[in-house]
Amino acid sequence: MDLLMTEEEVRFRNEVRTFLDTHLDEGLKRAERLNPSFLADPAVGLKWQAKLNDKGWVAPSWPRQYGGTGWTLAERYIFDQECERAGEPHFRGASIKMIAPVIMRYGNEAQKSFYLPRILNGEDVWAQGYSEPGSGSDLASLKTRAVLDGDQYIVNGSKIWSTLAHHATRMFALVRTADTGKKQEGITFILIDLKSPGVTIRPIRSICGTHEFNQVFFDDVKVPVSDRIGEEGEGWDIAKYLLEFERGGAFAGGMLRAMLARLQRLASEPLPGGRKMIDDPLFMARFAEIATDVDANDMLELSAMSKVQAGGNPGSVPSSTMKIERSRIRQSIAELAASILGTDALRWEEHRPLHELPEGSEIDEECKVASAVYFNSRSQSIFGGSNEIQLEIIAKTLLR
Amino acid sequence: MDLNYSDEQLLLKESAERFLKERYDFEKRNKIIASETGVDAAIWSEMADLGWLALPFAEENGGLGGGPVEISLTMEAVGWALVVEPYLSSVILAGGLVEKLGSEEQRAEILGGLIAGTSRPALAHTERQTGFDLDNIAATATKSVDGYTISGEKPLVPGGSFADVFLVSATLDGTVKLFVVPADSAGLTSTQVKLVDGSRASDLVLDNVPVLASALLGAAADTLAEIEAAYDRANAALASEAVGIMDALMDATVAYTKERVQFGKPLAAFQALQHRMAEMAVKCQEARGSALLATLSVDAPRPMRIRGVSGARAKIGKVSRSVAQEAIQLHGAMGFSEEMPIGAWFRRLYAIENTFGTTADHLKRYGEIIRDPAMLSGSLLREPV
Repeated sequence: MDLLMTEEEVRFRNEVRTFLDTHLDEGLKRAERLNPSFLADPAVGLKWQAKLNDKGWVAPSWPRQYGGTGWTLAERYIFDQECERAGEPHFRGASIKMIAPVIMRYGNEAQKSFYLPRILNGEDVWAQGYSEPGSGSDLASLKTRAVLDGDQYIVNGSKIWSTLAHHATRMFALVRTADTGKKQEGITFILIDLKSPGVTIRPIRSICGTHEFNQVFFDDVKVPVSDRIGEEGEGWDIAKYLLEFERGGAFAGGMLRAMLARLQRLASEPLPGGRKMIDDPLFMARFAEIATDVDANDMLELSAMSKVQAGGNPGSVPSSTMKIERSRIRQSIAELAASILGTDALRWEEHRPLHELPEGSEIDEECKVASAVYFNSRSQSIFGGSNEIQLEIIAKTLLR
Repeated sequence: MDLNYSDEQLLLKESAERFLKERYDFEKRNKIIASETGVDAAIWSEMADLGWLALPFAEENGGLGGGPVEISLTMEAVGWALVVEPYLSSVILAGGLVEKLGSEEQRAEILGGLIAGTSRPALAHTERQTGFDLDNIAATATKSVDGYTISGEKPLVPGGSFADVFLVSATLDGTVKLFVVPADSAGLTSTQVKLVDGSRASDLVLDNVPVLASALLGAAADTLAEIEAAYDRANAALASEAVGIMDALMDATVAYTKERVQFGKPLAAFQALQHRMAEMAVKCQEARGSALLATLSVDAPRPMRIRGVSGARAKIGKVSRSVAQEAIQLHGAMGFSEEMPIGAWFRRLYAIENTFGTTADHLKRYGEIIRDPAMLSGSLLREPV
């Protein structure tokens, strides 16, 4: 048992570092620093995605046959850590991490050869169409209806919390195709072209001041049957498969560590009056506690990775633990960072995206974004299966 | 990187758990702590027969060459069973120091007896004022005609009441050194102390205790550095012991709430209580991750060792307290009775939080280390050596 990289992994890490040094420019890094949201502003994200695509590194988790890297889990972990350390804009979201694995697993050849390359080159950006205004965590209660009419479905209803739907070209959606049997059995998985007639997108500005989420309305929207994934009624199983990717498929250790390092830099800057937070014992105690949380979570991730590499399964309790703790750690880092602001916490910059504003000093810019990041961080324990849902999963394993 | 246990390691874990289940149930343990000596000589000699006492030592010293992972697995089992015999203090702490610092003769004699089960050495280093400053030692050693004379006070020596020989630290010409002091030495008084977790220690007073020149351990070595490293090994072991206890509390609480019927249904059927137990499980998982990092850090360079070990003690101190308190709460009044092991686990975790550095001490020590941005942001994966 050990934490050692192989010589080859060290070489790989150095190669990734060199690439990031050369290609991740200051503009991209600054935009990410000033982004309070989970995903980068699409203009920024797509620019970074194009650079990664040129290198063939845009989809680390994909098998090589579909244009992925074919890396081992350890290599993906190392790549992720390095990207986070370097401060990359986060844009490998729903397109690469969620819909792509579904298309690979459940899609037919035509769907694979059409959609996958368009994801890699950024031609398509996907939005998620799961949640509905009335469904919340009770996903299976969804009501958006698709009625088969010849070789197309007619879709009516509404999806909510669709991240970046206003920039997306397509949406993967769960729709109701039957009312008989269990509510899970009448659900079908379809791909919707968001430029189709009948699609209306209503922006939802979030408490961090950013327009990230949307409500999407479907009014007799036509979706060709050829854009159905799997069979009719198979949607629930596909959704569960996808959620595995959303919850467990991503490494977070690198991101949490990078956020903490950023907080440390912020706390090391002298405040007006010359005082540094890093010299405040109360601050340091809280900071150190969070750092031990990050270490523990990182170890759980590495243990899970080891299990998968050996052909096993991490299990539902560790997976839900990681999801819960990851959200709490992000929230505590954001909260502690905002606590540094003092009375400046009262100032509010309305302009979005923040990176369009004239450049300031790094500390000024950190202060400008800190409150918004704190507000945004509250979403961490809600999306992707709220912490209460994760506790249910754990309780089910333990108690029933 | 590989964080999977080997088949041999899993076998060791299984055998340790089986041994303690068969020979060391809660009732038996209560009898031991109620006895005059507070130790069961038969169990200790069975531990010797099983190879437990030889586990961490190199084969050339008569040991089995087990590493930190093997120790960690054993300590999890020790935690679960609430073993009060001085495994940690004699084998890991004192034995470990003798292996690092001792001459060939000292190793042969002290480790030989320890491994055979006939000797239980104990480390007497910290003093009332020492706290976490391991170099703050007031005991003194002065050269005499044929050796040294040692004076000082060593309170709360872990495993001291079971020890036949002490490794006593004292400053010699301004430098901290360790001396081998037999328990029956003239001028040495050892008063047995009962500890909060049912185990024993001793308050040691040395009044001009004469020892031979051959009693000096590791004359040329950096003794303080070795003592610190030994405490770190012990702290990593304590982290694993705590994980074993947390798992025990978790299992006991789940089992109890499934059986205990209130308002017409088992407690485990109430969602409010289910979520509290799920939160306990989250903390058990996290503690496991931390303890593993500590285990895999004990042989790393000092800053990385501190990061792993003190980080784990700080983290586990916090989450174990919460798990223990929740276990008591969910057991209701039953958790209060000495008949049930819940309270004993609770008290042992409390003792761990105050052994070889408090939770706050470790958090502070960890905090100092991560002030170095390279340490804070560095990956847990390490470069091959």
